[in-house]
Amino acid sequence: MITQEKYRTTVKELLANGTIKMAIGYRPGSTPDRRRPLFIRTSEEADQLVLDSTCITNLSGYLVTEGLLSDEKQVGIFLRPEGIRSINILAAEYQLNVDQIVIFGFDSTGREVRPLQGRNAGDFSALLTEIKENPPLTSKEPLLERVEKMNAKERFDFWQEEFSRCIKCYACRQACPMCYCRRCIVDSNQPQWINTSSHTLGNFEWNVVRAFHLSGRCVQCGNCDRACPVNIPLRLINQRMAKEVVDGFDHFAGLSPTQEPVLASFKKDDTETFIL
Amino acid sequence: MAKIGVFICHCGENIAAKVDCTKLAAAMGEHPGVAVSVEYKYFCSDPGQESVKKAIRENNLSGIVIAACSPRMHEATFRKACAEAGLNPYLCEIANIREQCSWVHTDKDMATEKAADIVRSMVEKVKRNNKLQPIEVPVTRRALVIGGGIAGLQAALDIANAGQEVVLVEREPSLGGHMAQLSETFPTLDCSQCIMTPRMVETAQHPKIRLLTYAEIESVDGYIGNFKVRVRMKSRYVDMKKCTGCGDCITKCPVKKISSEFDCGLGKRTAIYTPFAQSVPNMPVIDKASCIYFKNGKCKTCQKSCELNAIDFEMQDEFIDLEIGAIVVATGFQVQNTALYGEYGYGKFPDVITGLQFERLASASGPTAGKILRPSDGKEPENVVFIQCAGSRDPSKGVRYCSKICCMYTAKHAMLYAHKVHDGKTHIFYMDIRAAGKGYDEFTRRAIEEDEASYVRGRVSKLWQENGKLMVRGVDTLLGKPVTVVADMVVLATAMVPQPNAKEFAKTIGIAYDEYGFYNEAHLKLRPVESSTAGVFLAGACQSPKDIPDSVAQASASASKVLALFSKEKLEREPVIAVNNEATCAGCWGCVLACPYNAIEKKDIRDRSGKLVKQVAYVNPGLCQGCGTCVTFCRSNSLDLAGFTEKQIFAEVMGL
Repeated sequence: MITQEKYRTTVKELLANGTIKMAIGYRPGSTPDRRRPLFIRTSEEADQLVLDSTCITNLSGYLVTEGLLSDEKQVGIFLRPEGIRSINILAAEYQLNVDQIVIFGFDSTGREVRPLQGRNAGDFSALLTEIKENPPLTSKEPLLERVEKMNAKERFDFWQEEFSRCIKCYACRQACPMCYCRRCIVDSNQPQWINTSSHTLGNFEWNVVRAFHLSGRCVQCGNCDRACPVNIPLRLINQRMAKEVVDGFDHFAGLSPTQEPVLASFKKDDTETFIL
Repeated sequence: MAKIGVFICHCGENIAAKVDCTKLAAAMGEHPGVAVSVEYKYFCSDPGQESVKKAIRENNLSGIVIAACSPRMHEATFRKACAEAGLNPYLCEIANIREQCSWVHTDKDMATEKAADIVRSMVEKVKRNNKLQPIEVPVTRRALVIGGGIAGLQAALDIANAGQEVVLVEREPSLGGHMAQLSETFPTLDCSQCIMTPRMVETAQHPKIRLLTYAEIESVDGYIGNFKVRVRMKSRYVDMKKCTGCGDCITKCPVKKISSEFDCGLGKRTAIYTPFAQSVPNMPVIDKASCIYFKNGKCKTCQKSCELNAIDFEMQDEFIDLEIGAIVVATGFQVQNTALYGEYGYGKFPDVITGLQFERLASASGPTAGKILRPSDGKEPENVVFIQCAGSRDPSKGVRYCSKICCMYTAKHAMLYAHKVHDGKTHIFYMDIRAAGKGYDEFTRRAIEEDEASYVRGRVSKLWQENGKLMVRGVDTLLGKPVTVVADMVVLATAMVPQPNAKEFAKTIGIAYDEYGFYNEAHLKLRPVESSTAGVFLAGACQSPKDIPDSVAQASASASKVLALFSKEKLEREPVIAVNNEATCAGCWGCVLACPYNAIEKKDIRDRSGKLVKQVAYVNPGLCQGCGTCVTFCRSNSLDLAGFTEKQIFAEVMGL
């Protein structure tokens, strides 16, 4: 509660002295354990701000709303460490300028919420490096271990079963801060690479393409997983791809705002084991 | 409505033996959108092409598919035929039913079925082809020749004599390369220096040639007709504008015992030096590694001796940026280090020398002024043993290929030796005598018959020293007996291998090389002087071992290719380039990073009042090579490749 109060005061101050034009945070949702995004422009709105351990949504996607940052004014945003990584990736992909983003960092253990030191993306590099070296224990997923132990056939059957529920609502895409394209590949129908109907092939196509488009970019914030109305464990795919990228290229997504995108950059010592 | 013509070629028996062309033609005739489907024995022949043109005109075809060999063979042929019939050449597609079908299958029914799949998928593609226009790019009419050996000089002179500008870059302080080191040249025995040095002078004085010696290529960017080349001028520490080449500094230099590279270690040079007396330009350089001043900050004797004050110890490397239209690579070879053959004792016994060292001994300008003297004690050898293939044609230790020149130069060495030491004896251990070339076999016969070279067919197994003599143990396979020859000097016919940095250098210019590091030609038989990169040509021993006549011939051939390129003001390029959809581009710049040709730029989109709306990727059509890397990277599919659009590829895949 202390953290929440402190941040309310900070946001009010920064709004009052004109440092930021808006702060993006959380407010109560429809049930006690749900939170909604809050867009704070006034001191009164700041009083609605909630910050507790249930604030888990990665809000960074709101920053790439068209026109929000084009006036070059600063915007504040409440972010967990993975959200800060998202900011770094968005900056590395030229979707925003980190100098315009004021970060209100926080993290939680159990029900305890604590603030993170720093305001600019660059202030958190030590913290992010620490997370890269020692990933938090909570990231260990029992289901992922189970899936990885399966053979190819079992794994295919598992995903076929999971994907069979997919209704192609693209909520995963809407929730993901990385899916900022003006036109998504699934919206392109000349040609229609990805079938829109929800049968096995189309479902695989969509989810595999999504996995590839996020490899080296996903920070495992879990937005897609929570957004899925049919509970497909999308996080498993993302975690697996993130591991591949770390193992193959030592690339931990979102470490800095100048990190080159792993799949677009080339180094002379990149392994080429995939070339027959 | 599509009106597609399908032309199924038998390629004699090449396709018809495994694919039922009649059945295939009938099946394709049924395919939606196909207006004509015919077969013929050779569509690439004149009547074949005429029938294609006739069909296009008579049926007003909107696209054609030639089901035949690989597009690498005849795509250009049929595109040209299309254009002649009034159809945009890019509305022609080749379905490869030879290399990818008939040649690799045995079952006729299944091969026919597969051929139908291949043709059908191309029909579906061609329905979605667009009319494309070739891209015109300007040509910079200035050639870069890399390497100042005989091949480089020939290419530079040929291009310059045709009136085009040339920049000649040589890594060493002087022009000349390996040929300048040679004594007399086979098969005419004319003095190498006598025919070489006038060429060097002519090159240096030519008004169309800009000579950059002691210089290296730093980077090459751009593409055919429009290369951007950065050259590093290594600091000579001698101001070339002031120096007259008087040589006072060389005489005064106190460091005199440096092993001379030009004399292959048989002679000595000073720290400030010219590689040889006839160097072009005849201006010295300071060898920084050996110079006393650079070691401990004292000396400057050369500076004091120079009346023109041409020596500048503060000189730094300089960079020159050049705009170049075509590049001739003539970087030459090196002699393989024969120390890898422990049994021949090279490096262990001073009187075991390489063929190139023998050249220096026999050369009038060499360390012994042309007298054949052994390096160990300076005595005239009475018995000389030559060992051929010391490195070549030896898959186990040396190189697999034949170095081509050794049979000839060994015969020449035996001759030169016989001419200089009248009662000397020569033994030549050989595997085969390869003397193919004008006057070459006559030359080796002359060595045997007139100059009494004793050829022993067999290999040498061991070489050791006994009582100041070299004992050479080998086998005479014609007699079937081991032989031991007592020799005063042994000459190894070492292999020609690529320059030590050949592979890195190939990467700098962007050309392909083989397993050894020799540069690959575009086609071994039909395009032997072009590299795999457009606008880069090859000359001399950087491509494969060559003698002087071959190097000169290839250099002239390269020059003619360069001149053909320079004969036009503009160059036509394939319009297969990436195009960006600016409406959907998210401006993530992944494509900018991914592009290997730096062809993608950031473009500002502004509204009417000039306010920046967004930035999107823009593909420079002059720089794009159509590789498609950006297309595969683009997540929103905003980038597409003309001629291979997503639509076309999708239709092609779905047609299978």
